[in-house]
Amino acid sequence: MLGSAELCFNVDHGYLEGLVRGCKAGLLTQQDYLNLVQCETLEDLKVHLQTTDYGNFLANQTNPLTVSKIDTEMRRKLCGEFEYFRNHSLEPLSTFFTYMTCGYMIDNVILLVSGALQKKSVRDLLGRCHPLGRFSEMEAVNIADTPSDLFHAVLVETPLAPFFQDCMSENTLDELNIEVLRNKLYKSYLEAFYNFCKDHGDVTAEIMCPILEFEADRRAFIITLNSFGTELSKDAREALYPTCGQLYPEGLRLLAQAEDFEQMKRVVDHYGVYKPLFEAVGDGSGGKSLEDVFYEHEVKMNVLAFTRQFHCGVFYAYTKLREQEMRNIVWIAECISQRHRTKINSYIPIP
Amino acid sequence: MLMGEVMREAAFSLAEAKFTAGDFSTTVIQNVNKAQVKIRAKKDNVAGVTLPIFEHYHEGTDSYELTGLARGGEQLAKLKRNYAKAVELLVELASLQTSFVTLDEAIKITNRRVNAIEHVIIPRIERTLAYIIAELDEREREEFYRLKKIQEKKKILKEKTERELEKRKVAGEVTEPANLLAEEKDEDLLFE
Repeated sequence: MLGSAELCFNVDHGYLEGLVRGCKAGLLTQQDYLNLVQCETLEDLKVHLQTTDYGNFLANQTNPLTVSKIDTEMRRKLCGEFEYFRNHSLEPLSTFFTYMTCGYMIDNVILLVSGALQKKSVRDLLGRCHPLGRFSEMEAVNIADTPSDLFHAVLVETPLAPFFQDCMSENTLDELNIEVLRNKLYKSYLEAFYNFCKDHGDVTAEIMCPILEFEADRRAFIITLNSFGTELSKDAREALYPTCGQLYPEGLRLLAQAEDFEQMKRVVDHYGVYKPLFEAVGDGSGGKSLEDVFYEHEVKMNVLAFTRQFHCGVFYAYTKLREQEMRNIVWIAECISQRHRTKINSYIPIP
Repeated sequence: MLMGEVMREAAFSLAEAKFTAGDFSTTVIQNVNKAQVKIRAKKDNVAGVTLPIFEHYHEGTDSYELTGLARGGEQLAKLKRNYAKAVELLVELASLQTSFVTLDEAIKITNRRVNAIEHVIIPRIERTLAYIIAELDEREREEFYRLKKIQEKKKILKEKTERELEKRKVAGEVTEPANLLAEEKDEDLLFE
């Protein structure tokens, strides 16, 4: 039904949507970024951040102020907001939030498994896990030796269970396979998320599906680009491409055959959305890299998500924009602390 | 290339990589096992001092090839290159530093020996030499003086005996003994 979104959404999720829009209005503007770029020390940065929505989040920090402390505090603030939203959500928004955290959970699981292989203590690893990806069985990950043990003993209760179906052929967990495993899990996760949004229908599907398609294609491009010159074979590479993007199936097949950047560019000539992105990539250290171009496009799409109402995509968009803002602030802080101001304007602005 | 600039460049590329790829520090720390760049020590002889020289060599494959496969791989590759350059410079610096310290030690030791020889050994020997020479001179003088004294004494004795003889001769007690050669007639000859 066309009108169902307007009619029913606000009943369950209206409060949260209002809250998230208020938070979005508190993101740093261009003027704030200009102020931050002109700071000379990290203390100035802290003073400037106090006037924005961040408030006194660094108030309890002892000297000296380092970039990693800023990063940790910002992440803690984001997690606080995210948990608040999540705790107040109802279905189907809470499943949506669960899907959002799966990405971070995958990273945490890979971290814990590789640490368990090296016989490291679980306490230290837990401290390094991404807080948004916490799940209750985290401490038990180190008792498993092989992936099947891991699956049956630990992960079958978590939302990650279905994603492991495709990866059960990995018998040994050495370094090569850890990364491949991580990317395979992420591929299954992305496809499951995409199907969930699509089934949900309505405005959510209209907003989230293009974003997730772009994410899938972006991963395919980056994996291809980074696997030139490594041991990853073409078939293994193709197995890592998520299939929920615009490139499926022809583009992915062509990408799997690509040997260098020029061939990738030729594949892209068939797809109107990505062609201008690749044109904008500069050469070497002067211009933007492919990753920067992709980040800008993602930011643009996330901002556009806020132009529609009554859908779950605003939460996803807000989290991603917040993360980009954190990366920007950390970048500016690093440039200031290392006194290397030449590239300080290479952050991705959020319009 | 200056060490400071290389380190600065490397630290900055670390910031860039963190910006694009997120936080990969835990992945790196978890997967550490064997070192990829190792160092061999050779011996080098400079002016008689053996100095260790370090040279680096690569061993094994890059175990972080696939890190950042999903994001930031390019920045990570640049980061690896920058830090590899920094490590090479560090190895060179370490070689220079050890040779500096070793040479410094050697120079100090040599200096001490030179000072000791110059201010202790040589004066001692010189003093010994001077003493020996003085002794020999003295003995020679003693000998000379002894000889002179004996000559004097002999002369006095001789004069004394001559005067005695003269006195006796004058008193007529002593005649000159017959001179065999001066005799014209020889009594013992029977026939002439």
